[in-house]
Amino acid sequence: MKEVILDCLGEACPVPIVKSEKAIIDLEVGDLLIVQIDHSCAMKNVPEWARAQGYNVEIEEVDDGEWEVFIEKTK
Amino acid sequence: MVVYKVKRLLIIKQRLGGVVLSETNNSLSARRSSSRSGSANRKPKKNLIPHGIMSFIIFVVIGLWFASKNPSLAIFWMTGIAFGFILQRSRFCFTASMRDPLLTGVTSVLRSVLIAFAITSIGFWAIKYGAFVQGLPIPGMGYVVPVSFATAIGATMFGIGMVIAGGCASGTLMRVGEGFMMQILSLTFFIIGSLLGAHDFGWWKENVILKGKSIFLPDYLGWFGALFAQLLLIVVLFVIADQWEQKKAGNMSSH
Repeated sequence: MKEVILDCLGEACPVPIVKSEKAIIDLEVGDLLIVQIDHSCAMKNVPEWARAQGYNVEIEEVDDGEWEVFIEKTK
Repeated sequence: MVVYKVKRLLIIKQRLGGVVLSETNNSLSARRSSSRSGSANRKPKKNLIPHGIMSFIIFVVIGLWFASKNPSLAIFWMTGIAFGFILQRSRFCFTASMRDPLLTGVTSVLRSVLIAFAITSIGFWAIKYGAFVQGLPIPGMGYVVPVSFATAIGATMFGIGMVIAGGCASGTLMRVGEGFMMQILSLTFFIIGSLLGAHDFGWWKENVILKGKSIFLPDYLGWFGALFAQLLLIVVLFVIADQWEQKKAGNMSSH
């Protein structure tokens, strides 16, 4: 069980999701990927993508306009 | 700070764990409610309601000032603010609607754009048909422009540009308003590009656009036929988008 923090602050929309897709491949089942984003569009499509994959997802607004998306790799 | 982070992670993990235990089709709502109850460790947030009230008063005052100069300016002001507000709150993004189906296989934004097109089609049709029935000049006919290769070339260039820039025209403006600094860069080049486009538009019009044929569907299919054809096309696209999402989701879960 490890946690990987993926810093996508300042990255515009397609970048966070592409990075998350790549990062999650290297993780083991049960690991946690934490994606830090501040692009409102990525805040919508990163969780949506992760849920479509069947992962557990939590979104935390850590500051105004800054989010952390917690993705647990379940399979 | 580190302790705080670890603590919060533990809480999040417990929450995720709880979700696994109660994983059903309704887990989304379970997740939502749990994230509300467990927000004790969140950083205290500024109360933004006074800012909202202040901005609203400023909007109204500026709107009244516009109305005193020119009523249509006030209308532009109001529709502009309403459009921006809805765009921001709904996270509506034309770029995502075209990009996400290919990138992640999620078509929810594409489908909402199609629904928006259907609604505006009916609205514009009603306005134009209303004018036609009353024998008035049909509004907006200046926008019925020839279909030509310029459309395809422009669409391709715009598509490449918007994916790199992280937003189309409205999306870029909305995110600059949100305070996303990087897209001020996009906005700068968006303006430079628009100027270049305006500069060369004469050439395109002369050499490419006017060689095409302008098609106004009601002239060919009749007023009701045109509306029916347009809505049918949108429904077909909607069904394709839905099928695409299911197909993509199936592919991804299999490996």
